[in-house]
Amino acid sequence: MIFDSFESFRSNGFKPKVIVIGSGPAGVTIARKLGAAGIPVAVFEAGAADYTEESQDFYKGTTVGDPYFDLDVTRLRHLGGCSNHWAGWCRVMDAVDFEPKAWVPDTGWPIRRTDIEPYLDEVHDILDLVPFRDDVPISDDIRWVQLIKSPAVRFGEKFGPEIQASKTIALVLDTYVTELQGDGSKITGAKIWSAGRDQGVATADYYLPCTGGLENSRLLLWSNERSNGGVVPHAEALGRYWMEHPQFEGGNAIMNNPDQFEMDDVSEAFFSPSLQAMEERQIMNFGVRFIKMPYHGAKWLVAELACLAPETAEWTAESIGAKLRCAAQLYVGWEQSPRADNRVALSASARDTLGIPRIELHWKKSELEHRTLLEGLRLFGETLAAKNYGRVRIADWVLNGDPYPTDQELAGHHHMGGTRMGDDLTRSVVDRNCKVHGMENLYVGGSSVFATSGQCNPTTTIVALSARLGDHLVRTIGQSAMLR
Amino acid sequence: MSPQQTSPKVKRRTVLQVLLSIPALALFREHAVPAAEPPADEFVEINGWILKRSDLA
Repeated sequence: MIFDSFESFRSNGFKPKVIVIGSGPAGVTIARKLGAAGIPVAVFEAGAADYTEESQDFYKGTTVGDPYFDLDVTRLRHLGGCSNHWAGWCRVMDAVDFEPKAWVPDTGWPIRRTDIEPYLDEVHDILDLVPFRDDVPISDDIRWVQLIKSPAVRFGEKFGPEIQASKTIALVLDTYVTELQGDGSKITGAKIWSAGRDQGVATADYYLPCTGGLENSRLLLWSNERSNGGVVPHAEALGRYWMEHPQFEGGNAIMNNPDQFEMDDVSEAFFSPSLQAMEERQIMNFGVRFIKMPYHGAKWLVAELACLAPETAEWTAESIGAKLRCAAQLYVGWEQSPRADNRVALSASARDTLGIPRIELHWKKSELEHRTLLEGLRLFGETLAAKNYGRVRIADWVLNGDPYPTDQELAGHHHMGGTRMGDDLTRSVVDRNCKVHGMENLYVGGSSVFATSGQCNPTTTIVALSARLGDHLVRTIGQSAMLR
Repeated sequence: MSPQQTSPKVKRRTVLQVLLSIPALALFREHAVPAAEPPADEFVEINGWILKRSDLA
């Protein structure tokens, strides 16, 4: 069932067991799992079926620290959420991403990759993916990895008809949960704004914010403030350890044989480090995106190289002959270390039209981030040179430690952390089952639960974690019913 | 041969031979060091290029 407003939903008399807040990849995946198990679930979507300026306005905010995207541009507030502008790039976080890194504080998850692997078949169906191939080590330091560029499933379009036909899922548009109310051990209700007015409080047995890697923190921070700590009783880490994937062009390369690595249909290939290499260089995970360059770029690189390394220039010229098609741009996207001072906070002065504080995002890259970029390029360059696959040139700004360019990609629009998963109540918000510490019926879905970010695009991992959370809730609700 | 039977002349010659052989030990050291050097020494960075030393020949 799909309702245009909360009023029409209320008139229907549908009684949800679970309230999911948000209709992006996490919310829809969890709702489908519950619905398939016969558990009545309401999905409250704050926006409409399509994009509107009025809805996006609620996402405005400010950033303190490094340059970042406008907060009402980097995410979408309507049916399907951020899947509507997702590029479709897929990869599951590596097993090493779940492990603690002894050289970086606050790393490591309470679960392992094997905990989400049983859900990857479902993820493939949901995201229309072909099977992943195994990584290919090209040296002790570097792996050639696969990043599938999928058709980019828009969750509203793909699953809208199924939800419309469902008797157990009620998707309710234009329904803004402005606040969760809690008593310190459980959530008692969700305050609703719909059709331009206050609609009172909606209730269910379980509540799941799935509003994205920025908005989950905002909703819980505001709700906790209003409930005097009754929504997130252990709130020390709430909003904190927020992470992105910084992304910049870090250099160029000349290749002996451009077909050495199979490129995808837009002439790109991807490379990541081994755990051993990360440990030796004391860096985070990273991904080198190798993009074939147009001819003039190759000529320029060979000409420059001729002055520095005659033998390599000669080797390159012979190798490429008249083709001149084997130069590449090297974009690097990398894992940001989890730091408590990178955080989502509530603005002291800016509020949305309903009076709810807007986000003030504090985000800064650390020295470790620069080291990961520089040493990552060195690792990649040394592997290409050692194997005689090619030669790498690191950009001057990276070598010199100059400020990051402001005219590049900046980051991946990947909003992670803020309600991170962990066992330590002071450094995490949810437990290994995505349940908020100290609360009986409050769970969180989406990338805000990421304890660390890995280097790859997060959507595949978000969907896998959501399928796992959906299964967990089905079991929990089933056991609870049996006890009654 | 007991210490009592050792000639003082032989002793001086032995000492001299040992002293003369000391510089030769450095040759063994010089030969041993390159083999133990880390692979990173294969590479050199010039103007941002990550090159093999042999590229510069």
